Amino acid sequence: MSFKYYDELKKRLGREPTPVEIEAFTVMWSEHCGYSHTKKYIKMLPKAENAIQGNAGVLPIDDKWAVVFKIESHNHPSAVEPYNGAATGVGGIIRDILAMGARPHASLDSLHMGDVTEGIIRGISDYGNSIGVPTVGGELRISEFYKHNPLVNAMAVGIVERDKVIPSKASYTGQVIVLFGGATGRDGIHGASFASEDLEGEKATKLSIQVGDPFMEKQLIEAFLKMKEEGLIEGAQDLGAGGVLSATSELASAGWLGAVVYLDRVPLRESDMEPWEILISESQERMAVLTSPEKAERIMEIARYYLLETAVLGEIIQEPVYRAVYKDEVIMEVPISVITNPPLEDVYPYTPGEIPEFKHIPFEKVEPSNVYFQYDYMVGTDTVLPPGFGPAIMRIKGSEYGYSVVTHSRGDLGYQDAYWGTYIATLEAVRKTLAVGAEPLGITDCINYGDPDENPEGLSAMMHGLKDACEFAGVPVVSGNASLYNTTGGKPIPPTMVIGLVGKVKLAEIVKPHEGDVYVIGWDRFSSAYERVIWNVIRKLHSCGCFIMAPSHMESLQGYQRTFSEYGYTLHIDKISAAPAHSKIIVVCNDNRCIENVDSKIPVVKVGVVEKA
Amino acid sequence: MNPKAAVVVYPGTNCDRDTYYALELAGFTPEYVDWHGDVKGYDLVVLPGGFSYGDYLRAGAVAAREPVSKSVRVYAERGGLVLGICNGFQVLMEMGLLPGGLLENTSGTFICKWVDLEITDTDNPFLSRFKQGGKIKLPIAHAFGRYVKVGDPNVALRYVEDVNGSDEKIAGILSEGKNIFGLMPHPERAMEKLLGWDYGKNVFLSILDWIRGGNRVV
Repeated sequence: MSFKYYDELKKRLGREPTPVEIEAFTVMWSEHCGYSHTKKYIKMLPKAENAIQGNAGVLPIDDKWAVVFKIESHNHPSAVEPYNGAATGVGGIIRDILAMGARPHASLDSLHMGDVTEGIIRGISDYGNSIGVPTVGGELRISEFYKHNPLVNAMAVGIVERDKVIPSKASYTGQVIVLFGGATGRDGIHGASFASEDLEGEKATKLSIQVGDPFMEKQLIEAFLKMKEEGLIEGAQDLGAGGVLSATSELASAGWLGAVVYLDRVPLRESDMEPWEILISESQERMAVLTSPEKAERIMEIARYYLLETAVLGEIIQEPVYRAVYKDEVIMEVPISVITNPPLEDVYPYTPGEIPEFKHIPFEKVEPSNVYFQYDYMVGTDTVLPPGFGPAIMRIKGSEYGYSVVTHSRGDLGYQDAYWGTYIATLEAVRKTLAVGAEPLGITDCINYGDPDENPEGLSAMMHGLKDACEFAGVPVVSGNASLYNTTGGKPIPPTMVIGLVGKVKLAEIVKPHEGDVYVIGWDRFSSAYERVIWNVIRKLHSCGCFIMAPSHMESLQGYQRTFSEYGYTLHIDKISAAPAHSKIIVVCNDNRCIENVDSKIPVVKVGVVEKA
Repeated sequence: MNPKAAVVVYPGTNCDRDTYYALELAGFTPEYVDWHGDVKGYDLVVLPGGFSYGDYLRAGAVAAREPVSKSVRVYAERGGLVLGICNGFQVLMEMGLLPGGLLENTSGTFICKWVDLEITDTDNPFLSRFKQGGKIKLPIAHAFGRYVKVGDPNVALRYVEDVNGSDEKIAGILSEGKNIFGLMPHPERAMEKLLGWDYGKNVFLSILDWIRGGNRVV
């Protein structure tokens, strides 16, 4: 097996790594776990001053509630096994949110593929619908560019009482680690390292694919929240990429402590598993929590009530080492900081050029309502603005505030210019958020890229584009994920930065779809200066009671027509031509004075009408 | 004192919290009763939607055989009011408390949307606040909602347009004694105008009227 950082590992350990260590570090130092290529870029991004740090961004909504959100890729598994790849992508990000102590409240996706892959859509629908978390939005983009490397990015938002966020770190020696959830099998072994290589690489087999069980996930969610309610959880980390090894080493290391885990205690689905397989298996629907020895029994009782497997997996120790034991034999012992501090690649210098004249690259337009009607977007009874208009709006019961949420990307522009593609996608997400009457709170980003060793400049361009756009808009990046090596036979996907943007909205100020004249307002080319003007126009028109939509593609508006008809309205609209990147919006207004007050320097064209059906 | 309503929770039920919230909004005092529990002593029993036991064998099939379901049967046979929504409707059918079957939608996919419905029976504890023949909107969210008729059921609710291939566009039926109501649409999702339409509220208020009026079935 080839392991890129073998020499580095040997140097850090001061000896030859054992075969178990090579298996372990191949996972932990993969891009998916270790962020070797992206960590230094991530450090450049603007941070939220009011965020509570952890494994997902936490931002306050009001005096009581905070939102937690994160996006994650599941590209490589979905390429090999669309159904389970996509399903477990949803499951994984939901657990990430849950581990913070938040109840999963909304999920979204961003899908790019060569043609509509039913397996992917079905995987998301079957899993998401079953666990009772509404799928409230997403994007579906079809292009040959993604034929061999589909992108499946899943985002989740959770809500949590501000003072009840669960830390993802150990806090004292003798704290015990309790594992619960589904039984552990061989599925997903080396999933993380497979996710960090070319699709024709040696790990691209179905063995690397995780298999999802949404029923188990639902039980896990309820069990975890019950434990939290009883005050039993002192720290938590879901088991995702890197399995037991990743979750437990991160918990200990974040608290500047060590850990010992007993692998023979892990409930197995396949009894003949090797100890190293137990250590790195990526079987789904599992969670590790930290608690005191006294509270551990009650945790296991709750897990069993919810029909889950459970065991005391290990404990936190003073010595800063990670020790994995199997039947009284130490199978691996290394300084814990070596695991959680992978080698980091340097930032590649980049200076942006002028905005290019973008060409239309046709990404086939799929009627999105065909997809979102397959998702339960209403369960939870908090969906105020449903999918189909842009960002969805969710309320929080008992609060006068809610949040907007959207996923957005521009791979078509990214293909032409990685920097500007990312920059424009980010500002468009801001435009969409303002259009529904929300103010941006924070961004979670999913970097989807080809091979950074082959072409480091494109990755750098994306990261600089994100940084500059966030600084321009004054929006922090609170969490994110990177999927690199999206190549097949050396051919990369277009640099595709997916932006997940959450905004804060006052429920009393929401404008719902209504009758009125329809206008296009703004310029048919994109510029930062135009954008700034348009954002102010949006704010003014929204407070005037106008309903605003901000599509990046205006050629086909059938989706809006269908969504309006769901609301009992008919949208009549002329064909609108638009440049691939523009700074304009569509406004439905039933009071002419609102439009008359728009600055006369800004282009305004009447293009249609919304009537009662 | 508010009437007491039991919200039955099976492993995999996912509309339990929504139903609890809706019952509270309507003026009930709801309580969760889990799959080991007993529904004796409640004024109303609601089987909410979701995917009990992951729907792995057949929608509602495993749940129908749990201890709590046995207590629901006793409760229903004594004339108690039972409301089964979506997966809850599937469970009632698996228990044999309502006639017919629910198969996969003709589209072969899950469908989530607001649909138009017609009220076809108001002479019962669940729909007395509606007008006979009245049109309402409620959301549906199901993959297995195609109602297949057995015998001649008491139809209380029909889709205005065919949405899932159900026989005679049937969306909800009553038991012979009219104390059990099963429907695929979700009234608990239609309680507040903020989320769309609030026709669902009148389902719960009808039940409240019935209980407060001291009515007994049979």
